[in-house]
Amino acid sequence: MNRVKLIALQILVMVVFLGIWHLVTTTSLFGDVKTTQFFFSTPGEVLARTWKQLTGADIYYHLGITLTETVLAFVIGSAAGVFFGFAFARNALLAAVFDPYIKAANALPRVVLAPIFALWFGLGIWSKVALGFTLVFFIVFFNVYQGVKEVSPTVLANARMLGMNERQLFRHVYWPSALTWMFSSLHTSVGFALVGAVVGEYLGSSAGLGYKIHEAESVFDVTGVFSGMLILAIFVIVIDSIVTLVENRLLVWRPGQSSTTTT
Amino acid sequence: MESKVSPPANAGAAAELPAVSLAGIDITFHLQGGQRYQAVKKIDLAVAPGEFVSVVGPTGCGKSTLLNAAAGLLTPSAGKVTIFGQPLSGLNRRAGYLFQQDALMPWKTALANVKVALEPMGVSDAQADRQARDWLARVGLRAFVERYPHMLSGGQRKRVALAQMLIRDPEILLMDEPFGPLDAQTRQIMGNLLLDLWSKDRKALIFVTHDLEEAIALSDRVVVMSAGPAAGIVADYKVPLPRPRDIAEIRLEKAFHEIHRDIWTSLRVEVQKAYAMGEGKELVEGAAS
Ligand SMILES: Nc1ncnc2c1ncn2[C@@H]1O[C@H](COP(=O)(O)OP(=O)(O)O)[C@@H](O)[C@H]1O
Ligand SMILES: [Mg+2]
Repeated sequence: MNRVKLIALQILVMVVFLGIWHLVTTTSLFGDVKTTQFFFSTPGEVLARTWKQLTGADIYYHLGITLTETVLAFVIGSAAGVFFGFAFARNALLAAVFDPYIKAANALPRVVLAPIFALWFGLGIWSKVALGFTLVFFIVFFNVYQGVKEVSPTVLANARMLGMNERQLFRHVYWPSALTWMFSSLHTSVGFALVGAVVGEYLGSSAGLGYKIHEAESVFDVTGVFSGMLILAIFVIVIDSIVTLVENRLLVWRPGQSSTTTT
Repeated sequence: MESKVSPPANAGAAAELPAVSLAGIDITFHLQGGQRYQAVKKIDLAVAPGEFVSVVGPTGCGKSTLLNAAAGLLTPSAGKVTIFGQPLSGLNRRAGYLFQQDALMPWKTALANVKVALEPMGVSDAQADRQARDWLARVGLRAFVERYPHMLSGGQRKRVALAQMLIRDPEILLMDEPFGPLDAQTRQIMGNLLLDLWSKDRKALIFVTHDLEEAIALSDRVVVMSAGPAAGIVADYKVPLPRPRDIAEIRLEKAFHEIHRDIWTSLRVEVQKAYAMGEGKELVEGAAS
């Protein structure tokens, strides 16, 4: 299927969706217009509100807060994940002793921690960073652990035959291998950092995208909720595209990453 | 079992200590569930400096295992590995190893892969760069230095691995079916390239292959291993063909055919044995992996 046709079909899905929504909320086919609009708003209003917000200044303050929390959670969570992933992969005893605790901690639904983090770190950004951290950390940790464990034994034996010492093996073999695994989960971990931030804001804060949505919800401003969700979706798509760009740069050496049109 | 140690091809070195000496080597693997598998038994093999020795034998007989013992990647259950007269403990620092499987670092370009081989020797970056480019040119990859391994063909990857091994100028070369997965023409080209590079400063070379013709065309001596388990060396032939050789042309010579017939007589028995054991052996191998 060619690209134009695909995009046309994708747009068609959106048009049909918005069409049905419009029909339901602006005609009396499905009951009282006032009632349906109270529950579902209308596509026109949501788009108008979203446009108004995006052209105003206020939303960028909240987006900035959410972005800061996301980036901090991602960076700190990844750093800790890389560190502990390495430590555990290179030390079998450590891994064996902590194995049940790591599994238990990872199985815990992180949302239940949000109130505790709010208690510990206050209602500012750090309680959201902490929540994002607990999500990012485990993803990176498991991937780095796997990356170090699954280094090809032949590549390793070859590097040792080339005379590499432990430090050089780390630099040229273990580290790149672990990073590959980490990068392969970049979308997931960045996504979770954002989830941590938004959920944290939603549950208690005075700024950020999650707060905006929560605020609209508390006054039954359905238009505000939907437009907040739309802005969140746009935000996610932008961040995800940036991650894809970064990924393509970092993983040039991987099969399938290079363009097939090169000579 | 005859296992005579023949003098090296270049007679001047006759008095020297063997570059590699394997004496009474047993290697037993411990499998899961307490099972054991004795791969090789009582292997004696000496390779003189400057000698090109091929090891042939049926698949799974223990050729890679033997090479790993010479490389110090694996400690034999019994017997002694001696390198230029010194007992080997730990990795064999004087050997270069060309692996059967892909062993290049996939995250490094061809150039970086070759360059990194000089890092443990403390060569400066600028000099390593120059030497690596030089070696890549010698293996015919001047235009491919910036490619990552997955952008190279199988033959090109082997060339990079060859440059990576040779740039360190090891005194002993160990090669495990290096041209195994390549097509016939590429094998010939690679064989000639290898002979060309090797003949410049003849190093002791142990070349493992399952291709008897390749073994004869390349080497000074061909060693035949028996089928496993407990594989040993069943025959040891000298190849008195003159050098320099062209491995495509040498196959047409009468002397080549005579040697081939002799060695094949020994090898065929072992290949058939290995084949007959097929089913049962597969089970053991399955448990091993
Ligand atoms: N790490 C291992 N553990 C158990 N068995 C092994 C191991 N490596 C090799 N073997 C067994 O030893 C035998 C010889 O293997 P190998 O040296 O790889 O044969 P080849 O001659 O094909 O190179 C095979 O039967 C193989 O299954
Ligand atoms: Mg093998």
